[in-house]
Amino acid sequence: MISNFPPGFIMIIGALLIPFLPHIIRQIYMMILVLISAYSLTLGFGIHSTINLMGFDFILFQSDSLTLPFAIIFHIAAALNVIYGAHEKHWKQHVSIMSYSGAAIAAVHAGDLFTLFIWWEATAFTSVFLILASNTYRSYRSAFRYILIQVTSGMFLLAGAIILLINDGSVLLTKFDVNSLYGQLIFIAFGIKAAFPLLNGWLQDSYPEASEIGTVALSTFTTKLAIFCFAKCFAGTELLIVIGAIMTFYPIFFAVIENDLRRVLTYSLNNQLGFMIVAIGIGTELAINGAVAHAFAHILYKGLLFMGMGAVLYRVGTCKASELGGLFKYMPITAVCTIIGAISISAFPLFSGFVAKSLIMSALGKEGLVLVYFMLLFASAGVLHHSGIKIPFFAFFAHESGIKTKEAPLNMIIAMIIASALCILIGIFPSTFYQILPYEINYQPYDFSHVVGQLQLLTFAAFAFICLWHFKIYPPELNSTVLNSDWVYRKMIPGVLMPLLKLVEKMNQKFEEVIMISFSKTKILLSNTMIKNKVFDREVGSDTLIVVQIFTVFLILIFIGQFFL
Amino acid sequence: MKALIKKFGKINTSVLLLCIIFLVLELIGHRHGETSIEDFTFFPAFFGFLSCIIIFKIGVSLRSFLMKDEDYYDK
Repeated sequence: MISNFPPGFIMIIGALLIPFLPHIIRQIYMMILVLISAYSLTLGFGIHSTINLMGFDFILFQSDSLTLPFAIIFHIAAALNVIYGAHEKHWKQHVSIMSYSGAAIAAVHAGDLFTLFIWWEATAFTSVFLILASNTYRSYRSAFRYILIQVTSGMFLLAGAIILLINDGSVLLTKFDVNSLYGQLIFIAFGIKAAFPLLNGWLQDSYPEASEIGTVALSTFTTKLAIFCFAKCFAGTELLIVIGAIMTFYPIFFAVIENDLRRVLTYSLNNQLGFMIVAIGIGTELAINGAVAHAFAHILYKGLLFMGMGAVLYRVGTCKASELGGLFKYMPITAVCTIIGAISISAFPLFSGFVAKSLIMSALGKEGLVLVYFMLLFASAGVLHHSGIKIPFFAFFAHESGIKTKEAPLNMIIAMIIASALCILIGIFPSTFYQILPYEINYQPYDFSHVVGQLQLLTFAAFAFICLWHFKIYPPELNSTVLNSDWVYRKMIPGVLMPLLKLVEKMNQKFEEVIMISFSKTKILLSNTMIKNKVFDREVGSDTLIVVQIFTVFLILIFIGQFFL
Repeated sequence: MKALIKKFGKINTSVLLLCIIFLVLELIGHRHGETSIEDFTFFPAFFGFLSCIIIFKIGVSLRSFLMKDEDYYDK
């Protein structure tokens, strides 16, 4: 019975009990919920659970070779979140994280678009509380922008689903044609959640405003759910290669100048999503394996980096590079774990990023997409710059900030150590890791060319950074706001719209004045003409009346004549 | 070596040494890339170094029009 329950569902329902449990028991209870949910994965592939409502079959639990790796990593991430957030005594964030993780896991197992839509919106409404949990005016405003954009994405999905239902009579979650209207609507819906270029503002706006626990959870589910949906519905769509390549490319520059280290990580997240989108766009078995492997590894190392920065935020109260530095001696374990995350994301051999990214790069090479290949290679050097070096360097080394603090709480350390261990294990045992990927694979990432090429690329990129820093060419980090695409709706539209509205209001006033004046002038003119000058005198009026009467009689005759002719 | 460490620090010197080791490794074995352009000797090294400098240059030049006051959106 319990195994037929859709994975994640038990986590959402179980979350309702969380407020009534005492602190530590609550964490154990949450871990049990995750384990029960994971137990459903043992059922194997196929459709396991449907429900008929209003004459429509909602497929609640459908699993295949693509859902399995996402389900596994989502459960691992949910368990890590439970450990990482164990120091938080209040229940609010725990309810949010548990139901949010559950909704994302349930979404992965949805078999039709309407079921997906429900969980799609559920992830938005459950996760927004993690942003509100920061309890600042900034986070409050950011949360509203976040929910508006997430709901908009859901509306696109619903519109696409309805059109598809009318056209085909079926909304099964399968491969969609991007040239059709419904395909385009669904594509945009997924694109908003995957933070496509110009649709990415919400990501950098909201994630860094969330609580230290919240950002770790947020970084895991929403965007990777979108990646899963793209892999499921739009694999092999060439447009994705272009979009993905742009995504890997431009966030690098923003990350370089950003001061808030958690915001730097969101740019880095955006850039990593680009790698996955490119792979999905290629659509070959190797590429899809690469996208899934990258999503899997990415959740771990990105989560680890956010955990590291979350621990810094928790202890120090800020994540700004300009205010941090020299924390290594106070938080050595956090620093080492963050460095492991940084090495993994930079794709050093023997770490998870390398075995995942190699698949994508090889898929690109095999398809002969040279330009995109070099864009991604350039982006790889960028990843090292902003995530591999900037994050650990400015937080734990750089200059002495004068901040005195202590190591992160034990639960945070445990979560970080587990995530670090997984990053290393995946890197050391790639063939075991590759077994969970959707397609069978015979790939060896550790050959001489791959390893030496990657090591040269990364060490020389690191050497370039060292030169820039050592010779004081690298400018100091400054407290600042870096403009992003959210500027359009936060500044440009209000900036243009408000003066425009005022102008319209003024014009309306002026117009009314002019009309009123011209009316009164016409009135005076007419009265003068009729009364004073007697142009339209009584005789002319009675003549007109006679003409009108004759015309009316004529019309009546025609009307009556119609019935007789 | 001691002078080098004194001048550049332990970490910087180790990175420099690693760079040299990985260049030498390429001379010992035969490295080939996913694309033919990559087959040029020390290509990844040049590409990595130049990419980092370009990223830095573009990033710094973007500062002038993308970087605003911290309370920019609160004004």
